[in-house]
Amino acid sequence: MRRYPGWPEPPITLVLVGVLFLITLVATKYGALPLDQSAWLFWREVPESETLAVGSRHILWGIRLPRILFAGVVGASLGIGGALTQALFRNPLAEPGLLGISSGAACAAALSIVFLARIPGADTFASHWLPLPLIAFSGAILVCLFLNGISQKWMTGSMGGLLLTGIAVNALAGAVIGLCAYTATDIQLRTLTFWTLGSLANVSWTLVAVSSGILLVTWIAARPLLQGLNALLLGENIARHVGVCLPSLRLRIVLMVAGLAGFAVAFCGVIGFVGLVAPHLVRMTAGADLRVVLPRAAIVGAILLICADTLARTIAAPAEVPVGIFTALLGSSFFLWLLARDKGRAV
Amino acid sequence: MTAQTGVLLRLDQAEVCIGTTRFGPFSFDVLAGERIAILGPSGAGKSSLLKVISGEYATANGNLSLGGKPVESLGPAALSRVLAVLPQSYQNTFAMSVELVIGLGRLGRVAAGDSNQIVRQSATLARAEHLLHRTTAGLSGGELARVHLARVFAQLWDVSGGLLLVDEPLAALDPGLALELFDRLSSFTRLRGHTLIAVLHDVQLALQEFDRLILIRQGQLYADCPSSVDAIPILERLFEVRFRKHHAGDLLFISATATQGHS
Repeated sequence: MRRYPGWPEPPITLVLVGVLFLITLVATKYGALPLDQSAWLFWREVPESETLAVGSRHILWGIRLPRILFAGVVGASLGIGGALTQALFRNPLAEPGLLGISSGAACAAALSIVFLARIPGADTFASHWLPLPLIAFSGAILVCLFLNGISQKWMTGSMGGLLLTGIAVNALAGAVIGLCAYTATDIQLRTLTFWTLGSLANVSWTLVAVSSGILLVTWIAARPLLQGLNALLLGENIARHVGVCLPSLRLRIVLMVAGLAGFAVAFCGVIGFVGLVAPHLVRMTAGADLRVVLPRAAIVGAILLICADTLARTIAAPAEVPVGIFTALLGSSFFLWLLARDKGRAV
Repeated sequence: MTAQTGVLLRLDQAEVCIGTTRFGPFSFDVLAGERIAILGPSGAGKSSLLKVISGEYATANGNLSLGGKPVESLGPAALSRVLAVLPQSYQNTFAMSVELVIGLGRLGRVAAGDSNQIVRQSATLARAEHLLHRTTAGLSGGELARVHLARVFAQLWDVSGGLLLVDEPLAALDPGLALELFDRLSSFTRLRGHTLIAVLHDVQLALQEFDRLILIRQGQLYADCPSSVDAIPILERLFEVRFRKHHAGDLLFISATATQGHS
């Protein structure tokens, strides 16, 4: 028996946390270089002469662990972002990537990389790491507000219409990014490729801390809104009649989705499909109650992205395959399977 | 809000515009505890009038007040503790547990201590208690209608003098269940002194169970009259049909025949 209105009992969530922990440990074992397991013992004094131990320690604590944790945090952000987007638009096929929110962020980033650099004085500003996330965030929020307005005014409750708009936004953003790439210099082009394919390579402990902070703040802000979002899943009119203040709920969710998608894009480029697949996997087993879906989508998203990134790091080691390729492979086949299973019912 | 015999709801020249279509102006008072049926031909704007009353459509002109206060001045949560709405159709894209759906009726409450109890009682009253452990995935239209009826019961369970708006509540139900659930809806509102406003197609039910008829044609108020035998000529003009009356004891039964045909 589930208690109401308290939080449902979470044994499956605990199991998922355990799986996530194990996968994180396993992922540290694989990489371009073999690792001496003594590297875990960070308190142990290592003499300079033991080069393997010194190298292992540096690889584990300086490179591999922050990267895996970062993959987990970004995956969790994408999972939560996807779950919130699907609830906001009441569409199980919605996802920041499919709706063009991520490409809106990438588009803003691309514009600033290529064109801000041409303005004297603004070039140093554009290359700094802090403004770029903010620019990507504003691109994401513009697309979010646009989609939100459209879904309310022009096609209330239309499932296909929103996805079609997303396709149009994606195409538009693609065109702008293409234009940027066409006019870009060689160095700018390399940065642009990073945005469009997605990569977790540029990682530091600072980035792990910043992204965890964003995730934590969003999670705390989202928690009290989840019952209202549950009501929204029943339809806008029902949500209003049971006492949900819709404009404020919508605005907050839009800000959160744009925040999660924008910052994920800013730090590691466009990583598609995790936001679609993670909440779906959770709903298939647990139903649509967002109080259950949100934490589990975060954990499943983290697991998915850690697996995908481990593949990306190791499959062609020492070279690295963009992680976006793996999530797209995984996600697109899952998406097609969903469509085939539902026979278009969900659209 | 306590049960009172005063005016619960007042529409004063309330008018809404949806695209290029205008509805209203509507002006009428609803007394606390009244039972009103909204009738009219298809597309006349019955559901729209209900949405004006529920505040879903913002009024372009005129005023709408509930319990003496303008509806806009009540926050969504405060409004939800007085006013509950049972819509005509439901979205069922996401599978949620039936218990959660019914419980969402209690969302506007600050302290929700005994919600669990109220959810079960509401489900029992709406004949949905056997569905409590299922999810909404795979429920039939009739089962879903019962779940949402229970949600509305839960919303107005522990208040009195509230307002319940229902849009075609019996459309998805078979005749036996429809009558039983209407009886339960009816006694639920009477017991708590709630006002009931229902959009109906069933003229017979409107005459038998309601105090007052509000008749709508082409987005305008056509007539506002007590529910009695005297309303039948007006109903005939409204629907452009002829009703045949059959008396059985105290009860009056009517059946429609087309005006163009033989009568």
